[in-house]
Amino acid sequence: MKRTAAYFLAQLKRAARLLPGQILADLTVCVCAGAFVCLLIAQGTVSAAGTRYRIGMVGDLSDSYLGFGIAALQEMDDSRFMVELVPMSEQEAEEAFLRGELYAVVRVPEGLMESIVCGENDRLITYTASQGQQGLGTMVMGEITDIASTLVTCSQSAIYAMQRVLADQGRGDEIGWETDKLNLSLIQMVLSRSGFGEVEVLGYGDGLSLELYYFCGAVLLFLLLSGLLNSALFARGNGALFCFLKARGVGAFRQILGEYLVYLLLVLVGLFTLCLPLSFVLERELLGIPEWEGMGAAPFAAFLPLLFPVAAMFASLQFFLFEAAEGIVNGILLQLICGVGMGYLSGYFYPSAFFPEKMRALGEVLPSGAAVRFVQAGALGKVPGSAWVAVFAWLAGFLALTVLVRANTIRRAG
Amino acid sequence: MQIEVAGIRKAYSRKKVLTDISFSMEAGSCAAILGSNGSGKSTLLSVLAGVRRADGGSFFYRGTDLLRHPGQIPKVLGYVPQGDPLMEELNAWDNLRMWYDRETLKRELAAGALGLLGIDGFLKTPVHRMSGGMKKRLSIGCAVVSHPGILVLDEPSAALDPVCKENIRQYLSAYMQEGGSVLMATHDAQDLELCNVCYILRDGTLHPYRYDGDFHKLAEELE
Repeated sequence: MKRTAAYFLAQLKRAARLLPGQILADLTVCVCAGAFVCLLIAQGTVSAAGTRYRIGMVGDLSDSYLGFGIAALQEMDDSRFMVELVPMSEQEAEEAFLRGELYAVVRVPEGLMESIVCGENDRLITYTASQGQQGLGTMVMGEITDIASTLVTCSQSAIYAMQRVLADQGRGDEIGWETDKLNLSLIQMVLSRSGFGEVEVLGYGDGLSLELYYFCGAVLLFLLLSGLLNSALFARGNGALFCFLKARGVGAFRQILGEYLVYLLLVLVGLFTLCLPLSFVLERELLGIPEWEGMGAAPFAAFLPLLFPVAAMFASLQFFLFEAAEGIVNGILLQLICGVGMGYLSGYFYPSAFFPEKMRALGEVLPSGAAVRFVQAGALGKVPGSAWVAVFAWLAGFLALTVLVRANTIRRAG
Repeated sequence: MQIEVAGIRKAYSRKKVLTDISFSMEAGSCAAILGSNGSGKSTLLSVLAGVRRADGGSFFYRGTDLLRHPGQIPKVLGYVPQGDPLMEELNAWDNLRMWYDRETLKRELAAGALGLLGIDGFLKTPVHRMSGGMKKRLSIGCAVVSHPGILVLDEPSAALDPVCKENIRQYLSAYMQEGGSVLMATHDAQDLELCNVCYILRDGTLHPYRYDGDFHKLAEELE
């Protein structure tokens, strides 16, 4: 153990010599990461607040009831914040649709209103969206169209039923008045449909706001890619030193132990470097994280210790990748590819809830997925036991693999 | 005999590199292992140094089979691999401190093996600024920390200028005069002048060779 401690101290001296350059690199990355987070949050906020689906209305729009309905939707209904209905000609709609300026086109067939008034259902409104728009928006629009169709059909049936009942009871003179009254009630119901139900926004990643989600993602991405900043530690020349250490009784396990602890220290130094500007930003609430509103940097200070196990796990992953790669350049490339790839799959760049099922499952299984589950749970106040187990299982697995690779390196170099 | 090696075998998968290595050495002697590239010289030395595990055989040093007691190897054997086992960012002092405690290091630099190697002249020089000779002397300095009875060197003169080679040979002569045994793999004819006995490693076994100063004859033999 004395030799292992001596080796650890020697590696620590190496790391100390590399530290100024590393801190400089850390600060540069912090500035870039900060800008990235602000951009993502700003983009997300603008996107959430400002998205309006522009829908072209073509065909027979001459009927006054229809015109009144469109005007009512655009002036009075809650949907005006999401949907912009633009009456236009077929030609204009086609051109705008091809230019991507329209989300969809609604075509009202000739004589639709007469058909509805006569109680017929032989003319259909066609809603056309481009093939690429298979997302949530299309689904929501489909639902809205269904609801509108159901409301129109059912309310029309109610009016006809009421008219028949009044006629049967010999109250024919009241039909006009009662029809208007029922129509107004139905319109009122439709226009105030936001009161029909309660909308609950769960957020991303098991209940995180967009801001906190991206904040966690950016911190994890920094940790995941911090191996690139510490790569100088892996410029170790040939395997002569490893063989020499082995000959002096310091085997692969002890070598890795000594080196890993120093590497982990470097990663933690990087994390603390990141914390300084982050604390400053959070203290002034510049990131606008709703969960931490009015609390300054205190929640982050409580959250910080939870990043240590994840930092240790990522450090073991980076250590393994550098050990497995032939040469430092290959190691850096491997770090970059694995880091970015895993980060993307596990939702560091974009909420993984929007990914296909299989992709999401893969992202969750990866070490980056275990890390994101751990950190997001930590940000909400409680980390489940399974998240701890996953993080430490990956940590132990990567260290074991690294020891095997080192033992093989010694065998080949000796 | 101080050193008795018998029947050492080593294979990589199906390729037999060492089939039957046997030789013996007296205290204070020097043996050279010669052989063409890929003949297994480095493998043999790393097996003796405990870096690789032998498939069979024995390596007795003063009555102890070191292959059965690998924990003893660092105490009695100093191994200098072909590359320099040094940390490039650190200076000579810091590299030596990995192996020596402060007091012993000072003592050895003043009047011990490290002084003989002339390491005190470049203690503060970072390894990446050292010449090949300085690195090799420092590597030997790290290897002899336990005052080993056997020093195993893998091509100690490779890529060194004549002055450096001479410095190292002087140290090895002094080491042998104090009773140490030297086993080296080499391609350098001048190194052979230091050796009492030479072996050519061919087909996995050692063949004694009497070097008479005719390098061309040796080269033909190696072919």
